[in-house]
Amino acid sequence: MEKGKISSLQMAMMMYPAIVATAILSVPSITAAYAEQDLWLSPILASLTGFATAYIAVRLHKLYPSQTVIQFSEQIIGRIPGKVLSFFILVYCIQSTGQITRAYGEFIVTFFLFKTPLIVIIASMVLLCAVVVYGGVEVLGRAAQLFFPVFVVPLILLIPLLSPNFEIGNILPILEGGMMPPIKGAIMPSAWFTEIFLILFFLPFLADREKGMKYGMITVFVVMITLVVVNLIVLFVLGITTASKEYPLMIASRYISYADFFENLDAVIMAIWIVGAFVKISVFYYVVALGTAQWLNLSDYRPIIWPIGILIVQFSFWSLPSTMEFSRYQNTALPFYANFIQVFIPLFLLVVAVVRKRKQIGSKTS
Amino acid sequence: MNRREEGKRKGERKVRWGAFFATAVIIIVIILFQWPKMKQAPKKDKWAFGVLLLIGWGLSMFDLQHMGGPTAWIEALFRPFGKFMEK
Repeated sequence: MEKGKISSLQMAMMMYPAIVATAILSVPSITAAYAEQDLWLSPILASLTGFATAYIAVRLHKLYPSQTVIQFSEQIIGRIPGKVLSFFILVYCIQSTGQITRAYGEFIVTFFLFKTPLIVIIASMVLLCAVVVYGGVEVLGRAAQLFFPVFVVPLILLIPLLSPNFEIGNILPILEGGMMPPIKGAIMPSAWFTEIFLILFFLPFLADREKGMKYGMITVFVVMITLVVVNLIVLFVLGITTASKEYPLMIASRYISYADFFENLDAVIMAIWIVGAFVKISVFYYVVALGTAQWLNLSDYRPIIWPIGILIVQFSFWSLPSTMEFSRYQNTALPFYANFIQVFIPLFLLVVAVVRKRKQIGSKTS
Repeated sequence: MNRREEGKRKGERKVRWGAFFATAVIIIVIILFQWPKMKQAPKKDKWAFGVLLLIGWGLSMFDLQHMGGPTAWIEALFRPFGKFMEK
């Protein structure tokens, strides 16, 4: 169905924005609400789920090297249960795609295009991503590779530009309330880290499969570093008030004033965000299109990209009447939902697969 | 004022013809674009394409924002855990 090949580095460059893009904007304030000045510890704790997910995904991939999770779940637990399980994964993926698009639209409407209807922003982004997904995994990989520096360099430049505003003392006192607040703050970002689960849909198309594990782990590690740095930047600039800002990095970037020349750089943050969101939505969109086609045993996923686009736009509004409702869903339900689908289901599949393989070997030798 | 608000709310519950016809136009464009390329495709592909478009069109009739759906069900399902997150 998919004849393209990508390198494992391209996969990492795809997955990095696919996790970080939305995380750098909303995670600092959500984490700060629980962990206060210890918010920089939470991504380190949350990354444990990321490493575990990457490990599970690669182990599963090694058992069924040429198949995605939608295909091999049928082989592991049987046809009907496998279909049901895959259906839940697909619903999760299409829901996430819709909600990422919604978050993207909300951000643009809040900060830049005040009068544009949300649906216009969402629909145009979905259309753009549909075109990329139509190109296949190779186009997606190259687009991600092309945009990777555009996404990362401004993020790194933020550190020296903001450093005159740093109040290093904001970090104190460390662990004032014990370990519990950072742990609670880590539950939310763990939802982002589990998204590394999506490598299960890309590993079969790698040209260098043996490096899959290495680059999966590198991706999680770099994401962790990025989130720690972003949280620290936000903490140093805004202090405890981080929790009350919806997009703290955006607010922090408005503090930039360097040599009377570099000012009002929030437009740069928007550029990063749009590039990142574009890669992120495309990755999720591709997973939904490919997964659905494999679930229905179609010969090609390209024809169903357009109908899925309509569904994604609808899912970005479904049951989410307002920004308030949306953020409440993200805070209370999403972390557990994401962990359930992206950690527990693969773990369950892996355990069943390993046990069955052992039994087969056992029956053969006896 | 009250009556107007009530009317507004009632209006929202009706079929949203604007969205319905806009989606219909989009679907026609999609079919015009994709169908010629699908001449060789197996029957199953054509069915999947058509059924998914129909689902999208059907959903466009409803007022999705104020309707229960997968997202609302998930939220209800994970509410006990969510309580832990609410301080």
